[in-house]
Amino acid sequence: MAELIQVNDVYFRYNEDAEDAVKGVSLSVFSGEWLAIVGHNGSGKSTLAKLLNGLLHPYAGTIAVAGFLTDHEKHIWEIRRRVGVVFQNPDNQFVGTTVLDDVAFGLENNGIPRDEMLARIEDSLEKVKMTKFLKHEPHRLSGGQKQRVAIASVIALKPEIIILDEATSMLDPRGRKEVIDVVKELNEKENITIISITHDLEEAMLADRMIVMNRGEKVLEGEPAQLFAMHGERLKAYQLDLPFSIQLKEKLSERGIALSGQSLTHEELVDELWKLTLKT
Amino acid sequence: MPPIIIGQYVPVDSIVHRLDPRSKLISVFLFILIIFLANSFIAYGVIGLFIGAAVLLSRVPLSFIVRGMKPIVIVVIITFLLHLFLTKQGEVVFQIGSMKFYSEGIIQGTYISLRLLFLVLFTSLLTLTTTPIEITDGLEALLHPLKRLRLPVHEFALMMSIALRFIPTLLEEAEKIIKAQSARGVEFTSGPLKERMKAIVPLLIPLFVSSFKRAEDLALAMEARGYRGGEGRTKLRILTWGLRDHLLLLSLFILTAILVWIRFYMK
Repeated sequence: MAELIQVNDVYFRYNEDAEDAVKGVSLSVFSGEWLAIVGHNGSGKSTLAKLLNGLLHPYAGTIAVAGFLTDHEKHIWEIRRRVGVVFQNPDNQFVGTTVLDDVAFGLENNGIPRDEMLARIEDSLEKVKMTKFLKHEPHRLSGGQKQRVAIASVIALKPEIIILDEATSMLDPRGRKEVIDVVKELNEKENITIISITHDLEEAMLADRMIVMNRGEKVLEGEPAQLFAMHGERLKAYQLDLPFSIQLKEKLSERGIALSGQSLTHEELVDELWKLTLKT
Repeated sequence: MPPIIIGQYVPVDSIVHRLDPRSKLISVFLFILIIFLANSFIAYGVIGLFIGAAVLLSRVPLSFIVRGMKPIVIVVIITFLLHLFLTKQGEVVFQIGSMKFYSEGIIQGTYISLRLLFLVLFTSLLTLTTTPIEITDGLEALLHPLKRLRLPVHEFALMMSIALRFIPTLLEEAEKIIKAQSARGVEFTSGPLKERMKAIVPLLIPLFVSSFKRAEDLALAMEARGYRGGEGRTKLRILTWGLRDHLLLLSLFILTAILVWIRFYMK
C-alpha cells in the first residue's frame, strides 16, 4: 500500500509558553486504509487532525500529504483539496443556506465550473443518500443528516483522504450509525482513506489500524482487536472505555467463564454466548 | 419542526417571484425616485393602478400585504393629521370650535399619506416575493462594479448569507437557553419591565459566547474546504435576466414618462 501521509517527528504548541499539544509524533497513513486515532480529551488527537491538512503548523518536524509539505504556502490548497475534514459540531460547519448551497461552497472555492458543480453535487449527495433533501435548510435536518451533508460536501471535492474529527460524538445512536454506514461504504467502494479521530473505542473497532494518543504522544499502534486484547489495562489507564463486547468478555472470564476467539463484534459475542450455554 | 420563515417571503409561484432580483432591486430604487414626481390625484391614481397590477401579478394573498402595512398605518395617520393641523393655505373647508381646517392641508396630507403607503407597499412587494438570499445575490451583482473601489462586495454578500443561515440556529439556541434559565428561576415573561430587561442578560451572554465559538468553528470549516476569499471563485447560483425583466424596467420607464407628462405638460 502506498504511503499517503507521512508525519515525521512533529511538535506543536498553541502558544509560546503553553505545553506542547503534540510531542514528537511520527506516523504514516496508507492509501485505502481506515485509521483510527484515539485518545482522551486533551490527548492531542484533534490537534493532530488539524495538522494533517495544514490548518495548524508544527514548530518542528514535517508533514507530507501525497508528497506535498504542509508548511509550504503554495501546497496548502493542494493538500486541503486532497484531505477533507468533517468536524464535530454539525451546525458549525454548515455554510450554505440550503443543502445544495452547502455542498456547492467547497466547489465554488475551488473554481469548479458550474456544470461540473451540479453533476458533482448530485453524485456526492447520492453517495450519502441525501438527494431528497437538496432544497432543505440546515435547521430542518437532523444531526446525522447534517453530518452526511458535511461528508457530501467533502467528497464533492474528490479527496483522497477524509478526516472525521469526532464527527459522530454529538450525534444520537441513529445518527451515528447513518454516518458510520456512509463512511464504511466510501472506504470500501470508493477506496477513500479514512482517518477517524475519536475517543469512542466502539468506533475505533471498525478501523484497520489504531493509534492511541496520550498527553500529546503516540503511545500505542496496531490492529484494534490486538490492542484491546493485549493492552486492555493500558487503554483503561488512558481513560478510554473498552468496547462493550470486550468488557463483557473480561467480566465473564473473571467469573471463570472463558470465551474462545476474539469475539469483537456483538454478533460474534452473541454467537459464542449461545454456543456456550449449549455445551453446559 | 415548522419551517422558520426569515423575513416576509411568501413562497408562491408567480411571474413577480420569478423576476431577476436585480431587476426588482433596480425597480424599487427607481420607484422611490419617481414617486416624488407625483403631485396630483391623477398621478397618484396612475401609481395606484401600477402597484395594484403588481400586487395582482405577484399572487401574494392580500392578508400578507395588509399585515405588512399595519406598522406604518400609525405613521401615515400622524403625518396626515400634522398636515391637517399645521397647513394654513387654501380655503377653510370646515371649522371645529376655533380650529380651522384648510383645503391645502387636506390635499397635502392625503398626498403625503398616499406617497408613504405606496412606498412601503412597493418595497414590501420586493421582500414578499424575493428570498433574502436572492436579494443578497442581486445586491452582490449590482454592487459588483464597486469592487474596483476596493469595496469588499463579495465578503459583504457572504456575511449576509451566513448571517441569514444562522438566524434559525441561534433562535433555537436562544429558546434552549430560555428554558434552561427558566428552570433556574429566571422570569422572562412576567414582572415589571426593569426586571424583564435584567432577565435578558443571562440570555444574551451565553448566546454571545456560543456565537463566538460557532464563528471560530465555521471559519475553520470554511478554510478546510478551501475558502480563500472571492478571487477565482465560481458561483452555483446564477441570475438570469429574461424578457420579463426587460418588460418590468420598460413598464417603469413608461410610468416615469406618464408621471413627467402629468406633472409638466398636463393642464
